[in-house]
Amino acid sequence: MHKITGSLGFALAVGFLSCLFGAGQVRAQALSHFPDPIFHDGYNGFASTGTANVRADDAARFLAQATFGPTDADIASVRSLGYVGWLNQQFAATPTYEITDRPGKVNSAYLNWVQNVLQEDVGQNNRQEAWFQGALGGKDPQFPTNASYNHTDQLRQRVAFALSEILVISDQNPTLAGYARGMAAYYDLLIKNAFGNYRQLLQDVTVSPAMGEYLNTVGNRRADLSQNVHPDENYGREVNQLFGVGLVLLNLDGTPQLDGNGKPIPTYGQDTITNFAHVFTGWNWADCDKNYDYPNNAPPVWNGTYSDHFTDCFSPYQEPDAFLKPMIAFDVVNYPDPGDPSYHDNGTDAVNDFAHKQLLYYSGAAMSAGESSPGTLGPGGSAASDLAFALDNIFNHPNVAPFIAKQLIMRLVTSNPTPAYVARVAKIFNDNRASSTQLQAVVQAILLDPEARYGQFHNPESFGKLREPLLTLTHFWRAMGAQHKCGNNIAATGNSSASLYANQPYRYAGYGTAWSTGQSYAWGVGVHQAALDAPTVFNFFKPSFVPSGEMSTRGMVGPEFQIATDSIVASTNNTFASYALYGNYDLAATCDPSDDFGDVMVNYAQDKALAGSANGGSADPSDRLVDAYNIRFMSGQMSPFMRDQLVSYLNTIDSTWDRPNGTDWRLLRVYRALYLVLTSPEYMVQK
Amino acid sequence: MGYDRRKFIRDTLSAALGGASLYSAFGQMQLLQAAVRSNYRFAAGDYKALVCVFLYGGNDSFNTVVPYTQAAFNGFYGSGGVRPQLALNRAQMASTVLNAPGGGTGSPGDGIQYALNPTMAPQAIPGDATNKSADLASVFNAGRAAVVANLGTLVRPTTQADYQSDNYALPPQLFSHSDQSNYWQSSPPSNLPVTGWGGRLADMVAGVNPPGTPILLAVNGGDIYTRGQDVNAYDMSSDSATTVNFLGYGNAGNGSGLCDPAGAYDPGAVAAFCNLQAAGAQANVLERTFANSMGHSIATAGIINGALAGAPAFNAHDQFPDALSTNYDLDTQLQTVAKLIWAAATNQPGYSGLSRQVFFVSTGGYDTHSDEIASHGDTLPLLSRSLAGFYNALNSVGLADKATAFTCSDFGRTMTSNDGGTDHGWGSHHFVVGGAVNGGKFYGNGCGFSGASGNFGLVMPSLINPNVENSSTGYSQNLNDAGDGYGRIIPTTAVDQYAATLAKWFGITDSDIGLVFPNLGNFSTKYLGFV
Repeated sequence: MHKITGSLGFALAVGFLSCLFGAGQVRAQALSHFPDPIFHDGYNGFASTGTANVRADDAARFLAQATFGPTDADIASVRSLGYVGWLNQQFAATPTYEITDRPGKVNSAYLNWVQNVLQEDVGQNNRQEAWFQGALGGKDPQFPTNASYNHTDQLRQRVAFALSEILVISDQNPTLAGYARGMAAYYDLLIKNAFGNYRQLLQDVTVSPAMGEYLNTVGNRRADLSQNVHPDENYGREVNQLFGVGLVLLNLDGTPQLDGNGKPIPTYGQDTITNFAHVFTGWNWADCDKNYDYPNNAPPVWNGTYSDHFTDCFSPYQEPDAFLKPMIAFDVVNYPDPGDPSYHDNGTDAVNDFAHKQLLYYSGAAMSAGESSPGTLGPGGSAASDLAFALDNIFNHPNVAPFIAKQLIMRLVTSNPTPAYVARVAKIFNDNRASSTQLQAVVQAILLDPEARYGQFHNPESFGKLREPLLTLTHFWRAMGAQHKCGNNIAATGNSSASLYANQPYRYAGYGTAWSTGQSYAWGVGVHQAALDAPTVFNFFKPSFVPSGEMSTRGMVGPEFQIATDSIVASTNNTFASYALYGNYDLAATCDPSDDFGDVMVNYAQDKALAGSANGGSADPSDRLVDAYNIRFMSGQMSPFMRDQLVSYLNTIDSTWDRPNGTDWRLLRVYRALYLVLTSPEYMVQK
Repeated sequence: MGYDRRKFIRDTLSAALGGASLYSAFGQMQLLQAAVRSNYRFAAGDYKALVCVFLYGGNDSFNTVVPYTQAAFNGFYGSGGVRPQLALNRAQMASTVLNAPGGGTGSPGDGIQYALNPTMAPQAIPGDATNKSADLASVFNAGRAAVVANLGTLVRPTTQADYQSDNYALPPQLFSHSDQSNYWQSSPPSNLPVTGWGGRLADMVAGVNPPGTPILLAVNGGDIYTRGQDVNAYDMSSDSATTVNFLGYGNAGNGSGLCDPAGAYDPGAVAAFCNLQAAGAQANVLERTFANSMGHSIATAGIINGALAGAPAFNAHDQFPDALSTNYDLDTQLQTVAKLIWAAATNQPGYSGLSRQVFFVSTGGYDTHSDEIASHGDTLPLLSRSLAGFYNALNSVGLADKATAFTCSDFGRTMTSNDGGTDHGWGSHHFVVGGAVNGGKFYGNGCGFSGASGNFGLVMPSLINPNVENSSTGYSQNLNDAGDGYGRIIPTTAVDQYAATLAKWFGITDSDIGLVFPNLGNFSTKYLGFV
């Protein structure tokens, strides 16, 4: 276990104190915009697995990095377990899958339940519902009274979401848009491997039919020069550029290596990509092999008349479940089928193949027997063995550790990590290359690193990351006890055209969810972001995005600012105006019987007692509410200035504000406090 | 032209501020703009707008502008030709043939007649039995659209031999979507911070426009193109500006969009909101940056929606008919741009005094790795009727010569196919549309189908054609090469030349053009003359 020694903790404390005193004189005027400079001794809880006495604000800050938003309950959990104890609990938590049933529990996964029990046609909205089950956690809609089905794997879900922003597929692809279940299966493999080995993750991603469809590996074939046809380069390019090694050679600390002229050095050339393209050939849908009935591994149900199933097979239109199975290599025996090797470039066709495929060249790169150049794949392999060689070639490149480690740090902790932080995590990545829990070690290293825990003191002006709009929504819903409520139970009809939602508690369903997430780009509301809904393979934002103005001058990146556009900041604001400011979607409200769908409702009443205990006004001040939200939403980092703004305003609300409809003035304090916090620049930067 | 624009800005700024840091206070930014803007004076009523139409994914322009002359068509699409698997239906192209104005072949000088992809023909309009939609070939044939052939990212003129030689300056990361779309939009991306040439043009003319009214607008999403050194783009939805609802509520519906608690239903809440959002005071750089985004959004939305409110609908059958509207894609975006141009050119209240504006619109679906014929059937009709509809809309109110729209895309695509689709290439053809365009013509070095038979008749070419893996088999060098073959076309005209031509029309002086396009001096011809 990664232990922080007492002396390191001492050194950190001393460093912090000198920093604090150095800045003290600047801050000693009026009300500071810096967080309250209280001395934090969070390192007490650092390596402890027992009763750790983690401060509430430190626990909340840790959870902001490790979950979809702190709740009071999780804060209490971290305080009692300590960071490492909580991490170990998370590493052991049962994964929440979207479409993968628990062993022996048919239809236990949300989308299988929806499809097979509720008998609804699963679409992209249902996939988002499934995502919210994991992202928000809590009870399962199918088993609301069985705690063993509660969703408690926050860290795994959070890491899977981060991976989904690196290894991108999207329902904005027209084909994938129609196959929500296939996309859910892809997300499940990210969940499965979130604490696993990155090489295995690359393997699963590469042979996933959803990725195969998105980046054109499905049906990719060896060259046919008589037709001037060549293998598609889409996957060969992006698996290197985005999932593997990146464009330029990196040092272990993530900084680019420079040549003699001070220029970055490309990691590969176009010829490398072309060679990878020739490797990723000969794969297709699991049921395109005419002799293979994959569900039963049995003789075919195929009655078609195609003569050439590799090039004519449009599997998902015949058998959508093919999206749930890995693609198959056509050159091997699946069932009593001799296989068809004619679509994979294995280097043996003197006209159409590359006999010697030079993949990534680097010191120590493996090469086939008989080859002389590191990273060269020789002839005679199979589609599967050649693919494995290519993925090994990528995975073993020294760039992968800093390239992936830095992006995971940026997704969870801070946009501009120091090179030393990147190097520490990259080393853990490398040290655990052979481990089946490689990413678990990486995630732990990211979250327990001194910079993750103390960076806000070391670099108070530049530490942190802009919160993604979707993550502000999950944070709000988690922190405010949201549940799906209302709507009418539509009896299962067995009619696959039925599209109404059967209402269940804890189902983050339907139109309200879609309204709030990615499908509402033209409506002026919504957060414009949903899982696996990025506009391109380059995600919602690029890791290299530099916001204009001060961050540009300082040479800082701010990926999430790419979606902090004039229109999206306004519509995200409007989402919180609708939810929080106006107190809409109150869990305590009476359901409208004509509302078939229901919506996600928020438990405002849970904070009513915090908002006041007498008649309001300055005699019954709002301090407790503001302080609670400071912890729950802002990890105790609300500046004295902001706290004063909130308290001063909220104190003006008193019992004369009670509304004719019965809305208590204390709820008005809750509404206004939530809105002002969730839209504030101080909240929007997780730091 | 080695003069670095960033250095120019910094030098000017340092002179003005005595070396104070660039962003130490907002007020100093105003000084910076003043230093730049003093160059330009435009007469009253001299309004111009540049509209960049970005086609994300890398359009296969070689299946967009295609040879129509029978022999060239056969050589391109026939058996043994360049693209037998991507063949279009020649008979269907009768209504998309490109004629020269007043007749003639409309050829780029190679004696070959060209046509647009047949899906770009006029479209039927649901519910309208009489009329069809606007189309690009008609605008070309009316002399108000031009084709600029084989454009691409270049640092300097590049031959095949140059490409193959070591240490020749090339755009970094050719064939990569992100890098090449960035290069197209920034040209070059090497100066830090990276700015786009749309943004730099806006910087140059910021001074002749009223402060506060946006002159750089991204409709449905911005990109590097809309990043100025000084000017921030306003980033709006396809059909309107998104307002911060709370403020309308707080201001009791006065709709000003300003953070003003006076008269609000709940002035205390508005005051607290505005105080928390006030840009500049926050302790953390990211907080300040976010506050700037919110402040910019709040200050600008009302101005835009006010300008849109009084504009013509531009929904006639040959403009943007409602029955064909996508509601958010390229047609809606260009309809919105036409409205904003109308509002500026007619000096609508709250939107008056503008003399130059830069717009960016975009659409996707052009990364046609597979099923290209079908994909083009979705994207190209929209492109054709949107560009033509934009021209027709402005022409209907006598403003056609005020705006020039032009296409850009990540890159062209390979001449070869990968079984139904094409891969990332380099050079590609583009369209320029507007009342000021010297249209009905081809510019650049030809679309190129009169070349040697050994090169499939291509002249544009410079097919990259380096080291040969399988030379012993006797196959053409172009056919299967692990190097850079596959029919990737080296551009013969640079993005900088294309952009500089547009910038000259926009009013940028010859002495300033090198500030905007530092590599332009590497090319012997600065301006192509299409507008």
